[in-house]
Amino acid sequence: MTTIKPDRRSILKAGAAGAALAALGAPHIANAQAATLKITTWGGKWGEIMKGDLLPAFEREFKCTVSADQAFPFLPKLQASPRGNPIYDVLHANSNEQWKAVEFGIVEPKVDPKNVPNLKDVYPYAINDKIAGVSIFTSGIGLGYRTDKGLGKPTSWKDLADPKLAGQRGGYLIPVNSLGQAHLMMLGQIYGSGMQDLDAAYKALEALKPIKLFDFTGQMEKALLSAEVTMGVIHDSGVYRYEGTPEPVDFALPSEGVLALEQVLTVTPGSKVKELAYAYIDYMLRPDVQKKLAEAVWYSPSNTKVQLDAKYDAKLFNTPEKVARLIQPDWKWYNARKDAIDLRVTRILRG
Amino acid sequence: MSARPDAGHIAYLAVNGAIITFLLAPIAIITVFALNPTPYISFPPVGISLRWFEKFFSSPEFMGALWLSLQVAVVVLVLSMVIGGLCALALARGNIPGSRVLTAFFMSPLMLPAILTGLALFQLYLLLDIGRPVWGLIMGHTLVAVPYVLRTTLAVLHNFDRRIEEAAAVHGASPARVFFEVTLPLIRPGVFAGGIFAFIVSFDQFPISLFLVMPQGETLPVVLFNYMKFDLDGAIAAASMVSILMAVSVVVILEKVIGLKSYVKL
Repeated sequence: MTTIKPDRRSILKAGAAGAALAALGAPHIANAQAATLKITTWGGKWGEIMKGDLLPAFEREFKCTVSADQAFPFLPKLQASPRGNPIYDVLHANSNEQWKAVEFGIVEPKVDPKNVPNLKDVYPYAINDKIAGVSIFTSGIGLGYRTDKGLGKPTSWKDLADPKLAGQRGGYLIPVNSLGQAHLMMLGQIYGSGMQDLDAAYKALEALKPIKLFDFTGQMEKALLSAEVTMGVIHDSGVYRYEGTPEPVDFALPSEGVLALEQVLTVTPGSKVKELAYAYIDYMLRPDVQKKLAEAVWYSPSNTKVQLDAKYDAKLFNTPEKVARLIQPDWKWYNARKDAIDLRVTRILRG
Repeated sequence: MSARPDAGHIAYLAVNGAIITFLLAPIAIITVFALNPTPYISFPPVGISLRWFEKFFSSPEFMGALWLSLQVAVVVLVLSMVIGGLCALALARGNIPGSRVLTAFFMSPLMLPAILTGLALFQLYLLLDIGRPVWGLIMGHTLVAVPYVLRTTLAVLHNFDRRIEEAAAVHGASPARVFFEVTLPLIRPGVFAGGIFAFIVSFDQFPISLFLVMPQGETLPVVLFNYMKFDLDGAIAAASMVSILMAVSVVVILEKVIGLKSYVKL
């Protein structure tokens, strides 16, 4: 057996190597002392407020670090990460994606009010059976239109089918856009027996041709501004943000109801910092936080105690009466049929 | 007597003109959008403004992403040239059994959809519990950039006259000296041509970056994609212009420093 006797030089070498390793490892040790909450969040103006103001305040209050991922796609990344060590602790997504995440078992379907005290103050729609997790804000999906084209203010979803709008109406690539998917369900409601009447919805979609289709709501917004589209399906915040500018665009709430586009938060089952995750959801539901974001991006707050400034108060869904106009699609039902729907609508819109 | 152009020549010019228009039209549209003050594409433009460039250059998010993309692309350029160049030498000279299979193996990242490569690397990093470090992003970009250097260097080596190396050796040059003073200068056009591709592939890389960027450490294409979902204004066009100018600048600088004319032969 060989015996190794350490000499002075080897001890010095080992010491130097150890010091180097310690130096490399030091940031890990320093960071390990503060818990890190991994979340997803939107970009744009929302992201500016979050990163510039709200997240630093949360970090100070809860003595933690928040790692906010703004790079889509969130769901595939969460799916690909180990269940026991998920890449996110809190998933912020729209309702359709949250339901998919629930089906995959990668987020908790509900949030316990014991963990999130502010849940007691939210409108019922924010935590009902149509929502996985909790909806912290919502937008209303209705009709955006140009006010300089001699059209009257639309009052019904049927106004989008006006023959005068042929080639001037805007919709979405339904397989990739939840507004397009929600609108398809609404067509079933308007022209058929209900939101699940797909045959009526397909027929009504066919009748909307020729229609300009977009991937993102941002594109629809610009198409309205540039008059490429005269009327299109869009969420209220995408139009209200031009309030006070000379842009000749406005938003109409169809009499049959407005589709809800919810901003939903859920917690991942494998999160190692669940208390912090719940604290974050509670924080996002605080009236002051809700007011700040609602007025920055024109989203309707879920907390009933939020007092908005007059111009926001006049338009956002912030009273029980206004909230009653919101129609929440059944995303669980839709997701179960999504592949077949995608095939069918692609054929309709391509033809 | 002046020669009348024949129909064939006119058709040839027309087809070439159409191809050039097709290639350059997107750049023209981006230029119009970037310089137009309206927050949407409008034609004819209502004026000329640098407001979108100002927005781009004053945004810490865009600037951070641009700087990161540049840093990553430079490291990828160097790594790809070293790895791709050495691989090409080994494959062309090493008498390695199964060198054709190995060449196909090294080229395989180009056969796979990059989004799958990105997803696979993302899962691997998570399984190894190393998170999403910048060096992981660099590794991902290098994986798809190496085949470009490999291919261009192999092309040079294919036409390489080995008698030049033998002559140097006969005159007493050591193997290292032969490599640095004879082989390397001769394969340099292939290595650098591949390096330029590697830089551009990395700088514009989207599908792999989509999975491998870390929060607050996003590359420019990823930041632009996410920005576009919320704010589709001229800042996107300004960023595109900057990207194009950046890529052109790299080619121009390499032309000045190294001379690219010889690479045209490749």
